[in-house]
Amino acid sequence: MAALDTLKAFFEASLKPSPTVFVIGFAFVLLFPILLHFLVTQKSAYTTLPSVLLVGPSGAGKTALLTLFERGPLAPAPSEKPTSTAPASPTPTHTSQAPAAVELAVSSDGTSSFRDDLDATGTTAKRFLLIDTPGHAKLRRLALSHLSPAKPSTSPTSSYSATPKSKLKGLVFVLDAAALADGDGLPATAAYLYDVLLALQKRASGAKGSKPPPAIPVLIAANKLDLFTALPAALVKSNLEAELGRIRKTRSRGLLDSGVGADDDVAGAGEGDDWLGEYGSDKFSFKQMLEFDIEVEVIGGSVVGDGPGADRWWKWIGQRI
Amino acid sequence: MLDTFEILTTSGVVLWSRTYAHVSPSVVNNFIADVFIEEKSAVVGAKDGASAAANPLYKYDQHTLRWTFEKELGIIFVAVYRSLLHLSWIDKLVDNIRAIFVSLYGDQLKKPNTTIVECLKFDEYFDQQLHELEQTGGKLDRSEVRAFEDEADSEILGKEPPAPAGLIQRSQPQDDTLDSSPVATPSASRPSTPAVNHLVVAKAGPVAKMSRRARKGQNTNSGLVSSGDEGSARKSKAKAAKRGRKWDADGFADEDDDVQLDYSAPNAVTSDSEAEAAGRPGAVEEVDASTWGSNTKGKFVLRDLGDEVHSILASAGAKNGIEKPGSPAGLVGSGLSAISGLFRNVVGGKVLTKEDLDKAMKGMEEHLLKKNVAREAAVRLCDGVEKELIGVKTGNFESIDTRIRKAMEASLTKMLTPTSSLDLLRDIDSITAPPVTSLRKARPYVMSIVGVNGVGKSTNLSKICFFLLQNKYKVLIAAGDTFRSGAVEQLAVHVRNLKELTAREGGKVELYQKGYGKDAATVAKDAVAFAAQEGFDVVLIDTAGRRHNDQRLMSSLEKFAKFAQPDKILMVGEALVGTDSVAQARNFNAAFGSGRSLDGFIISKCDTVGDMVGTLVSIVHATNVPVLFVGVGQHYSDLRNFSVKWGVEKLLSSN
Repeated sequence: MAALDTLKAFFEASLKPSPTVFVIGFAFVLLFPILLHFLVTQKSAYTTLPSVLLVGPSGAGKTALLTLFERGPLAPAPSEKPTSTAPASPTPTHTSQAPAAVELAVSSDGTSSFRDDLDATGTTAKRFLLIDTPGHAKLRRLALSHLSPAKPSTSPTSSYSATPKSKLKGLVFVLDAAALADGDGLPATAAYLYDVLLALQKRASGAKGSKPPPAIPVLIAANKLDLFTALPAALVKSNLEAELGRIRKTRSRGLLDSGVGADDDVAGAGEGDDWLGEYGSDKFSFKQMLEFDIEVEVIGGSVVGDGPGADRWWKWIGQRI
Repeated sequence: MLDTFEILTTSGVVLWSRTYAHVSPSVVNNFIADVFIEEKSAVVGAKDGASAAANPLYKYDQHTLRWTFEKELGIIFVAVYRSLLHLSWIDKLVDNIRAIFVSLYGDQLKKPNTTIVECLKFDEYFDQQLHELEQTGGKLDRSEVRAFEDEADSEILGKEPPAPAGLIQRSQPQDDTLDSSPVATPSASRPSTPAVNHLVVAKAGPVAKMSRRARKGQNTNSGLVSSGDEGSARKSKAKAAKRGRKWDADGFADEDDDVQLDYSAPNAVTSDSEAEAAGRPGAVEEVDASTWGSNTKGKFVLRDLGDEVHSILASAGAKNGIEKPGSPAGLVGSGLSAISGLFRNVVGGKVLTKEDLDKAMKGMEEHLLKKNVAREAAVRLCDGVEKELIGVKTGNFESIDTRIRKAMEASLTKMLTPTSSLDLLRDIDSITAPPVTSLRKARPYVMSIVGVNGVGKSTNLSKICFFLLQNKYKVLIAAGDTFRSGAVEQLAVHVRNLKELTAREGGKVELYQKGYGKDAATVAKDAVAFAAQEGFDVVLIDTAGRRHNDQRLMSSLEKFAKFAQPDKILMVGEALVGTDSVAQARNFNAAFGSGRSLDGFIISKCDTVGDMVGTLVSIVHATNVPVLFVGVGQHYSDLRNFSVKWGVEKLLSSN
C-alpha cells in the first residue's frame, strides 16, 4: 500500500502547476530535439564519406590500382613464398564482377603519399571511399548508375548503393595505354569514355532547381606506361579526343533508339541532348567539357613495373577530396 | 599436376593463390567472363554453393578449371590444371579448401570497405589438404605403378624424406591391407616417372593393374592349378572366388573342397572400393581414417594441422546435414515466426528463403511466359534470380515481389546488354576508311542477312539500306535469293524506291543481280568483287529464306560465309514467333561453320506484338548474340536501335 501511496503522491505532484514541474518540463522540451539532432547528424556524418569512382574498360587495371592504393606497393602478394624473388609484385587481380569499395585516407592538405601510414604519423586525415567498378560491358550499368542524376534506389544490388551519389568527389577513368595503340582498343575504350562523359554531362545539364549538383572532375589515368608499346599521355589525349569526335559524329547520325517514338523526335527537346561537348562543334576536345563544369585531365602512370608509378594519380585524388 | 589454385573475390582481388606452373591470367579472366558474366554455360542453376563436382568443367587453351563459388561471401575457388591430366581428387580438394577457408576467414571477408584478408597462414592448410588428397586419390593409381616396380628399388626410395607438397604425391603406405601383408611393400612413387599415374595412358592390362600381392597370389594359384594360363586365372577371378582343387588318383579334379586359394579377389575388391570412396567428393571419413595410419612414417608436422582441418571439415559437413531437414520449433515457435514473417514481408528486412521465393517465382515465370518468352529461357532466368536471392535480406519497406522484380530487371539487363559496342556506322567507317596508321586496305563493308522464310529479310535489308543512304554511303544490294521467283524483282522495286527517296541526299544505290538458278555463294562473291572495283562502301547481300531444321538448305550457308566473307551476318527473327525462336537462333548460329557465328539479330514486326517482346530474350538466351535492330513499322524509317532499357521495361510491364 505504501508503494501505491507514493506513486499517487508522485502523480499528484507532477500534475500540479508547481515551478519545479515547469522547469523540468521546459528543459525537456528544449533539450530533447537538440539531443536528437546530435544523434542523427553524428551518425550520418560518419556514414557518408566522400567517394571517388574508378571506371574504365576491362583489363585496364582498376582493381590493381585499388589494391595498390590500399596495400601499398611493397606488400608482397599473399601467395608469394619467402623463397621466390620479386617482392614488389602487386596483388594479382582478375576480372571483376562486383563493385568494391575501399576506405582510404589522405592527409588534409592532400600531399601525403598512399604509402604513408597516416595513423602512425598522427596527421589529420581525410577519409574517403575509392569505389572500383567492373569494366565488362555487360556490367557497366553498375558504374553508370552512380552517375545518373536521379533515382538513387535503382541500383539492383543493395550492398553498395549505400554510398550516396551526392558525395561523389571525382571520377578516375583508368585505361590501358598499350591497348590504345592497336586497332580495336581505342574505339572500345573511347566508347566507354563517351558514355561516362555523356552521363556526367546529362547530370550537370539536366539538374533542375537553383542548386546545380557539385561538379565531378574526371581524371583519365593512362595506365601501363611501363610497357614499351604504351602511348605517352599526350598522345593518349589526342587520340581519345579524335576518337570521341568520331563517335559523336556517328552517334548523331545513327538510328533512334527503340521506344523513342517519332513524336518525341519532332518535339525537338532532344536536340543536342546526346551531343557530347559544345553542340555543333567540329572537333571534340576535353576543354569543351568545361562548359558543364567537368574538368578532364589526362595523367600517365603505371600500377606495376618501374614506370612512372601511381603517385600523380594519388595526388590528383588527394586534391579533390 | 595442379598448375594453380586461386581464391578470388567477385570484385576481382586474388585473396590467396598457389602457383606450381605459370598459367596466363587470361585463363582465369576468360573463365570469369564466360561463366559468371556472360553465363555461356547454360547451367546457371548449379552455380552457387554447389560442390565443385556439380559445377561444369571449364576448358580453355589446354587448361581445365574446376571451381566452386561461395555466394554469400562472394568468393570463387578455382583450380587450374592441364587438360591432359586426369586428377580425380581435384573437386574434393576444391570443396575442402572452400570449407576450410570460409570457416577460417569468413569473418574477415564480411568486413566492409576493404579488400585485405590476412591469410598468410593458409599455405599450411593447403599443403596439408593437398598431401592428404593426393595420397588417398593416388591409391588406385599407386597400385598400377607398383606392379612395374622393382622391390629393392622401392625399399630405398621409401626411406627418402618427404619432399615438398606437389612434387611427390605419395610417400607413405596407406592401405591397411598392404601394411598387414607379410611381404615388405614400402610404397613409393617412381621419381623418374612422377606423372605416369595421372596421365591418361593406355591401361597396361588387368594383370599390371592388380597390386603386386594380388598378382603374386595369382601366380601361386596358377602354379597350383597347373594351367599356366594367366588368362584363365583372370577369367575365373571375374567369375567367382577361386576354389582349391584336389587331384584324385584317377586324375580327376575334385572341386568341392572349400579351401580358398585365391586371395586376390577380396583384396582387390576392398582396395578398389576404398579408392573409389576416396575419389568421391564428400567422403570426409575416408580421409580421416587414412590419416590415423599415417603417423607411422613421420609426418608429425602436419598432424596437428590435420586434426584442425578435419574438425573444420566435419563441422562444415555437420552443418550441411543440419540445414537440410530444417528445424521445426514447436507450435508456438512456428506461429511466431509466421507472424514475424508476415510483418517483415511488409516492413522489409526479411531474409529470403526458398519457400518464400517459390510462389513469387512461379508468378514471375508465368509473367515471362505470357510475354512470349520461351519456356527454356524463362526457367533459366527465374532459376538465376532465385539462386541470387536466396539468403538476401530485403530492403526497408520492400516486399518480396518488388525485390524479385528488381533482381529480374537486373538479370534481364545483364543478359540483353551486348558485350561490345554495336555502332554500325563506326564499324563501316573503320573498314571503308581505315586510319592511316593501320596497314589495312580500304574495302567495301559486307553485310548479309539470313533468316527463315517470310520474316522480312528483304524488307529489313532495304530499311538498313535507307539508313545507310541517309548517311551518304554508296550501297550495292546483291540479290542472293536466286531461288524464289519474284525475289529479284522485289529487290529491284526497293532499289527504285530508295533511289528516288535519296536522290537529293547524295547516297547511291545499285542492284547486283544474276537472275535465278545461280549459286548464291558465287553471286555474293562476285558482288563483293564488283563493289570493290566500283568503289561502293557497303554491300548488302540478301539470301533465300530457309527452314532452320532443313540440313540441306542450311549447309549451303557455310559455303556462303566462306565465299562472301561478310563483316556482319545478321539474322532476322520475327517477334511473332514463339518457342521456336530458340531453335531458329541456335541452328542459324551454328550454320556458318566452326569459325563463324551470327553477329547480331534484327527483330522484325515488333509493332505487331505490343508488350510481348519475349522473342528478344529467347534468342539472346539461345545464342549470346546481341540484338542490333528492331523493326517497328512499315516505312523505310521504321528501324530502331535496340535499347535494352526499352526492352526490359516492356518485358516487366504488367497489363
